[in-house]
Parts: sequence; structure tokens; C-alpha cells
Amino acid sequence: MLPNLKQALRASMKSDDFMQTTVVIQDKQLFLSFYKTLVSHEQLHHDLLSFLMIPNEGIDTLDDLKALIPLENITLSSDLTEIRKSVSEGSIFLQLDDGSNDGLIVDISDPMLGHRINNDTENEYSVLGPKVGFVENIDINLSLLRRGLGTEKLIFEEHKIGTLSRTRVVIAYMEDVTNPQHINTARQRLLDLDFDVVFETALLEQLITDNSNSPFPLFLSSERLDRIMYSLINGEVAIICDGSPSVITGPTTIFSFIISPEDYYLPWIMGSFFRLIRYFGVAFSILATSFYVAILTFHYNIIPRDLLGPIIESRSNVPFPPLLEVLFLEITIELLREAGSRLPTKVSQTLGIVGGIILGQAAVAAGLTSNILLIIVSLSALASFTTPIFKISNTIRFLRFPLIVLAYLWGGLGIMMGLILILGHLLRLKSLGSPYIVPLFPFRYNSFSDSIVRSSFTMLYNRFFTTRPLTQQRYTVRKNKDIGDDYNNE
Amino acid sequence: MQQPVQENYTISGYFVFFIIGVCQAAANIFNFQARIVRDAGQDSWISIIIIGLGLNVIIWMIYKMLGNPNKDVIDLHQTIFGKYIGNAISLLIVGYFFFMALFCFRAYMEIILVWVFPTAKVWTMAAFFICIFYYVISGGFRVIAGFSFFYLFLTPLLWWLYFPVKQGEFHNLLPMFNHSVAELLQGSRASGFIFFGLEALLIYFPFLKEPEKHSKWAHFAILFTTFKYVVLIIVTLMYFSQGLLQHALWPTLAMTKIIEFSFLARFEYLFIFLWMLVIVPTVCIYIWCCTRILKRVTVLKPRITLPAMLAILFIAANTFKERTQIVLLENFINKIGFYFIFIYIPILFIISIFAIRRVQSN
Repeated sequence: MLPNLKQALRASMKSDDFMQTTVVIQDKQLFLSFYKTLVSHEQLHHDLLSFLMIPNEGIDTLDDLKALIPLENITLSSDLTEIRKSVSEGSIFLQLDDGSNDGLIVDISDPMLGHRINNDTENEYSVLGPKVGFVENIDINLSLLRRGLGTEKLIFEEHKIGTLSRTRVVIAYMEDVTNPQHINTARQRLLDLDFDVVFETALLEQLITDNSNSPFPLFLSSERLDRIMYSLINGEVAIICDGSPSVITGPTTIFSFIISPEDYYLPWIMGSFFRLIRYFGVAFSILATSFYVAILTFHYNIIPRDLLGPIIESRSNVPFPPLLEVLFLEITIELLREAGSRLPTKVSQTLGIVGGIILGQAAVAAGLTSNILLIIVSLSALASFTTPIFKISNTIRFLRFPLIVLAYLWGGLGIMMGLILILGHLLRLKSLGSPYIVPLFPFRYNSFSDSIVRSSFTMLYNRFFTTRPLTQQRYTVRKNKDIGDDYNNE
Repeated sequence: MQQPVQENYTISGYFVFFIIGVCQAAANIFNFQARIVRDAGQDSWISIIIIGLGLNVIIWMIYKMLGNPNKDVIDLHQTIFGKYIGNAISLLIVGYFFFMALFCFRAYMEIILVWVFPTAKVWTMAAFFICIFYYVISGGFRVIAGFSFFYLFLTPLLWWLYFPVKQGEFHNLLPMFNHSVAELLQGSRASGFIFFGLEALLIYFPFLKEPEKHSKWAHFAILFTTFKYVVLIIVTLMYFSQGLLQHALWPTLAMTKIIEFSFLARFEYLFIFLWMLVIVPTVCIYIWCCTRILKRVTVLKPRITLPAMLAILFIAANTFKERTQIVLLENFINKIGFYFIFIYIPILFIISIFAIRRVQSN
């Protein structure tokens, strides 16, 4: 004779928060097994026991019991492994006191237990546009997406990833839009995974990425609802992971990291202008300090005569070579930034003032750096913040340093070598099997309407060619009929 | 007969425009003028036009003899000469492409050594360049083709010609047409080397998608190069006197030197550094061709031949001690390149017509 299921359950669940209680309903005894840390007291009484207390004809079998509970997630089971698994995930196991070896698994776990409900997208802030962000709970995230794109074309495909965590991971895509090739690649990579605990999509991203030895992010990750929706309607695959407030989409290109959702909320002229400013910021941030090193170490003769005076004047008291001077300031800035991001908001504001202004001024006064370099370094730090996505700004922070060292070794030639190496790297990169720097290579001139600049919506009716969508057209352009022709109607 | 190249390794047919263009823009652009004016003087631009138009015939021949049923020149050699002799000839072409790469690489290093870093050690720089080559070539042909595309972004640099034109003297071009046809053709022969690089098409032909449909782009590439060099030689002739020009080492750089902005003097530094965007894909294409032939003809995998090739390139680049040695190499390259493109390819074309007909009738 098998031991009683109840005792077997008790024996295998050693944790102190595992509860087994007996409830007497009418004349029947009912055994409940559950984790009290997963099932809240209120839910247990409100959602389950209150229905059982209603007077009825009597409970003889589990089917009678099942009929009484108005919940859909009820399964009848006698398999110990299955029971153990679902109890660990937050279900209640119900048993009648008739010596039988089966019972009901009732899922009344509260998914919101211990989770925040809203996220104000503070990491990807924009002045215009919705400030709805994803939260740690996957059901809320999915319902946000579903409400945003109210169509049956939006497909969620759920998988359980992680040998220990069994985290719910959802692949979202638009049917008839997203190229099935991307969906298959994403699905295959997720299913081939063997990893114990999946904490975050950022972690998942590194596991399923095309090239893990790259400083460049190969998936776009965002906590903004509008950005992910935009990626979805353009034929990308989104991967949502339970417990993570950021969603990753792919295949992506390097240009999409410079795009801010705000570009689309502003008139196209403004949007394009700000986007160009951002490109300039990226270039400046990567190159400015290495140019300084190259010019002052080797090519002082390319500075015109009128400009040479101020530079010499500000550097005359500095005892270090340009490389050390630059590295000193760049590392200081990196320290400030790193410290600022680890501190509470209130403290980091103070730190910014102390570190930024006082330290910089003192360094110049003490003759450790020149004024001009201080301007360049702080400008390039400022410029690196213009990128809307955190990950690419990390890449920009990092790429500066090898370029500075190369500039010290071979001047302008070294910078060019570094840039060519980066270009070669970008050409080799792939995101979910698609080239990373389209529309530049392979060259797609019709995708340029929304890459370097953001054109008017009368020109953006087609989806990005870069994701090879199944349906090309997004909407048809109609001219507003009430706009008259002021010039020809006299 | 080889297997067709897999779809995801091929590139669009119009990319020949960039690949041919980038090879022809390489190191020669800095010093081609001095060699050409010796024969045709102020009419050298006519010589370049003659040879540029003539080269379209060579391109037409290449597109005609490749494709069906022969995919590249290695197949063609095997069809015409049989397996062993054909492969032996293909192996000779490895040497040809290697010398091309070596010259391109070393000529650019020479410019850097003379113009920018007179005291730098050659081998340190060469070692870093070799690393870049390895990284790019090991990415496969698509990456190399992508690289060649970016040379197009240097085209706006041509606007600098405005400065030498402003200071130039139009009378230097006069009297026009006072050279005999023989002299003009002599000049054409001397200027053949500025068009080297199109012969790599014989090797990467199977990597092009629908090559016949896009053959016009190869012709455009030749026309664009012709146009570029004609403009450049006219500007050079206006800026220099012919006596001075024959003794100028790098006339193009000497002309860029005069440009000055409020934020930038010594414009030629920018020019030299940016030109790396042309040199790197050119050397990569040549070395890739070497490894490709070796892969097709022998059992050696590119995984082995590529590091070996680059190691030899590194050693060979370091053996040059003096400028005269580079000039010797340049003369040698100009000779074999000329014979390869203008003698060997037409001969191969004529033989291939008969050979293919024979194969088809069997």
C-alpha cells in the first residue's frame, strides 16, 4: 500500500512555510496543502473557502467539490511529482478525507504578490508621449501589449525557460507581418537553452545573442510600451520574460538604438533635427578625446596658427603627456557616473555637483589638466547621454578607451585603424541572423526615410525593409480634403 | 565543376561597382600622374579616356566567358587546359594577386612613413594592419564587399579639387591634341596600372547574384574610375608644370596640402588617414582571392592559408628598406598587371569561345 498522499507530500516538502491544514465543511473534513508564502490568507478565504461554506447537498466526491469552486484552473491529480510542482508554483492541493489517493489542484496564487503595478519609464524618459512602462509581472506586460495592439494578429507564444526557475518567457509577434524566419530563430534559440535561473531579459539576451563577444547590444531592450509596440508592428519579434521590466526585440539594427519614440511625436522636421543631433553626439562622444590625444601628441601642425595659441596657453602648466591627462579625466568622469548610478537619487545629485564642478575646477587649478580638455571631456560625457537606450550608451563609454590608446600610439592613423576595426566588427555582426547595419549594408535606399532622419508620415507608410516583413504596407496615405490650395484658388 | 555558392554568402550583382571601384582607387591615386605625363604630356587625359573605354571590352569579355557553364576562372582553366595544367595556371594567379596586395599595402605604408611618421617602426604598424586584414577577411566575402561599399563615402572628398583648380593655370593644358596617336597609345599603356583590380572579378564572380543582369554596374565602375582619374589628371596638369610634375613623388598629396580651414591645417593628413578605408578592402580582396584559389585548387582550407598568406605578407612588407625597392616592385607590378589584363584575358577569351563550343557539342 502506498503511503497516504498527504503524508508523502509532507515528507517531501521540508520548508517551514509549507502548510497543511484541515478544514471542516458541513460534515466533511478537507485537507489543504499549500505554501503560505505563495497564497495569501485573504485569497484563500475569499476565493476558495467562502464558496465551499455555501450550504449544499453535500460533498461526496472530488467532482462535487470541483463543481462548487468557480475557478477555471482546477485539475484532478494523483501524481505526486505534478502536485509538488504546482504547489511550488502557488497552487493549493485539496483532498477529501476518504482515504483516496487523489485530490484537486486549485490555482489561486496571486501573481501580483510583491510586485509593483506601474513603471514610469524613468530610465527612458521622454517629454512627449505615454509614460507607461513594463513591470516585473509578465501578465500585466502582456495585457498592456494586448490592449495596445487590439488585434487577433498579435500572437503570444509561451515557453518555460530555466531548469530551476521555470520562468515564463513569451515570444510576441504579429502574424502576417513578422517574417517566420525570425520567429523560428528566436524560438529555436530559446528552446535550445540550458540555464538554471533566468532573472532578466538582459540575461536571456546574452544567452541567445548571435555574438556574445561584442560590445554592441544585438537586441533592442526597452521598458517603454510604445517602443516595443512600434517594433512589433514593424515586424520584429519581442521576447518578454517574467520578472523583468524590460522587453527585448530583434532583429534590430544599430540605427534603432539612436531612435527615440519622441521623434515620432514631434513634427518630422524637429524629429529629424534631434535625431541628427544625437548622431552627432555619438560621433563626438566616441572621437573627441582621442582626437585631442592624437593632435597634441603627433599632429600639432594640423592646428591652424590662431587656434594653437589658446591650446598651448591652457596646456603650459600641465606636466603630463596628453594620454595621461585624458585618461585621468575620462576615468574620473566614469567614476562619477558609476557612483551616481549606484547611489540614491538625492545623494547622486549632490555628488554630481561636488564631483563635476568642484573637482573639475580644482583639477585645472592644480595644473593636472587643461581647461580645453575639461571642456572636451565633459561635452563628450554629456553627448553620450543623448542616446535613448542605456545599453548603447555603455558601448559608447567603452569604445572611447581603446581609441584613446590607439591615438596615443599612432595618432590619426591609430584612430582610423580603430574605426576600421569597429566597422569590420559591425559588418560581421548579426542580430537574429540579420545584418546589423542595414540599411547601410546591404544598402537599402528606401529604408533611409527612417534611419538617419525621420521623414514625414506621408513617406513612412511602408514598414522597414530591414526586417523583411511579410506585409510591406502599414497604412495608406490620404490627403486631408479640407486643406485647400491657397495659391491656386483665387 | 564546383558547387554553386550558397545563397546566403552571395551579394547583389551591383556590388561589383564598389569592389572594382575600390581596387582601382587604391594607392595609385597618389602618384599616377608622373608616370603618365612622360609620354603624352598635356594630352595624357586623352590617353586615360582611351584606355578607360577600351577596358569596357575587357569587362564584357569577362562577363561573356564566365557564367555558363564556367563559374570562375579556375573552372575555365580546367575546362580549357585540363585539370593539372589548368590548376597550375590558377596557382600562378595566386602569386599575381599576392604581389598586388603586397604593393598596395607597402605603397600605403610608404606614404605614411614619408608623410606622417618618419620615425615609426614599420613592423609595429604592419602587425596591426595584418590583424585588421585577418579580422575582415575571416568574416567572409560579404564583409569585404561591405567594406568596399564604404569607399563611396569618400567621394565627397573630391570637392577638395576646387582649391588646386582655383590656383591652377588653364594654359598648362594647351595646346591640346598635339601628340601623335602613337604617343597617346604609349601614354595609355603607361596608365594601364590605374585600372588594376578589375581582374579580381575573375575569382569572385560566382559570389554575385544574377551577375549578367548587373553587368552594367561593372561598366559604370570603369567609367567612374575613368572620370575620376581624368578629372584628377586635368587638375594636376593645371596645377603643376610638366617639368615639376615629373619630379614630384606624390602630386595628389602635394595638391591637397594647400588646403586650409579655420579649424584644420594640413588637410592631407585627413586625406591619408581616410584613404585607409580604400586600402584595407583592396588588400583584403586580393588576399581573399589568393585563399579562394588555393581552396578551390588544393585541399588547403582558408583557415590555414589565410594566416599563412598574411604571415608572408607581413614578412615581405618588412623586407623593403628603401624607396627604390618599392619603385622596382611597382615597375614589376605594372608590367605583369598589364600583360595579365590586356594580353592574357583576351587570349583566354578567344580560347574559351572554342573550348566551350567543343564542350557543348560533346
